[in-house]
Amino acid sequence: MAKTKEISRRIKSVSSTKKITKAMEMVAAAKMRKAIEAVLKTRTYANLSWETVLRLAEISKSKNENLHPLLLPRAKVSKAAIILITSNRGMCGAYNSAVIAKAKESIARHPIPTDFILTGKKGTIIRNQNYEIAAEFEKSDILTDAREIYPLVKMVLEDYQSGKYDKILVAYTDFISAARQVPRVKQLLPVEIEKVDQYLGVISSEDKVGVTPELIAAKEEKHLSAGDYVYEYTFEPSASEVLDKMIPRLLEIQLYQAFLEANASEHSASMSAMHQATEAASDMVSELTLFYNKVRQAGITAEIAEISAGANALAE
Amino acid sequence: MSTKTIKFEIVTPEKVVLKQEILQITVPTASGEITVLPDHIPLVSILQPGVIEIKRADNVVEIMAVSGGFLEVMKDKVVILADTAERAEELDEARIKEAREKAEKLKEEAKNVDDVQFTNIASKIEKELARERALNKWRRLKNVNPGK
Repeated sequence: MAKTKEISRRIKSVSSTKKITKAMEMVAAAKMRKAIEAVLKTRTYANLSWETVLRLAEISKSKNENLHPLLLPRAKVSKAAIILITSNRGMCGAYNSAVIAKAKESIARHPIPTDFILTGKKGTIIRNQNYEIAAEFEKSDILTDAREIYPLVKMVLEDYQSGKYDKILVAYTDFISAARQVPRVKQLLPVEIEKVDQYLGVISSEDKVGVTPELIAAKEEKHLSAGDYVYEYTFEPSASEVLDKMIPRLLEIQLYQAFLEANASEHSASMSAMHQATEAASDMVSELTLFYNKVRQAGITAEIAEISAGANALAE
Repeated sequence: MSTKTIKFEIVTPEKVVLKQEILQITVPTASGEITVLPDHIPLVSILQPGVIEIKRADNVVEIMAVSGGFLEVMKDKVVILADTAERAEELDEARIKEAREKAEKLKEEAKNVDDVQFTNIASKIEKELARERALNKWRRLKNVNPGK
């Protein structure tokens, strides 16, 4: 009888764990809904603006004319910085480890000294791993206002312009669907068209979500050329004035979008992790129940056997 | 009147405000108000807070209030990246007036605050003014008597 008691205690403990994971799943689902709404709202804006900036970068490159210092790749890249966007909480499966691995992989590919700029508590794991850390920023679980990341944008722009860094990258998790999130590294500065294979959002030419060089080339052909003649952009009041205002603002939006993508991914990942945990708990409960019944039956059988053996002995 | 149209899109960080074929558009830019017709030369400019006037392909005129942003013109396409944009018919006069008065009062009180705060307030006033202008223009257009 002692054995059944132990099993029923385990069943109890597993089902209370299940209750907790179920509740966490619900919370994550609510957060996810909010985060997805936010990410979809700004996606069009972010992509359209990035398209414009990239096109300007291309013009600046093809005409060999320096339209703006932020568009020009530096001849010698001696130091880079990578902004790592992680979550504040665990319980979201491989979400954090995947994005950290991606960031490390991209550093390994370009052997340039790279500083980390961390956002999110889980990123601090990097500290013990022999990487340089330039700064740590706090991050709220649900980002609602682009102003929350202004200090980060300001620091990055200043460090880039002062020549402390020659390249700024951002590592984040791209939200593709509630079931799929992909960690990516994207180059923010300098703005270079060849480097955009790592885009924000899902790509499709239909609704112009996501940006690739092909898409930009196609657009240029469609909207900017007549026969062999290719139109050139005019800037009002002047190229430097327009770009001085435009590029920092659009970078802000890009980074904000990266944060939103990361948030939506985080909550989706945590929801599916919790869903799996709940399912695993259910499986365990049913297995244990089966085992419990078997043990109970075995106990009863043994008892009956004992009793009948006793009765037989008395009859003889 | 030509029947050539421009693909027009105005987006804010919040949403896509309007996306359709239009005949012409008038926008306030940093160097003055400009009207874009089909086959305009490609242009990139800064948007000022003010009123946008759009003539849709079905000849209906739409009025919008914007509060700064960027404008990109291509041969047959215009993209506006606005900070905020509202259609005039969605604006509420009482609310605008209240917001502007509040901002102006803040400005009065804030003579000795720092530059950043002052710019914030000033841009807020400009934004509300743009809204008011958009609403007035729309009323004139629709022959609605203001104040009723």
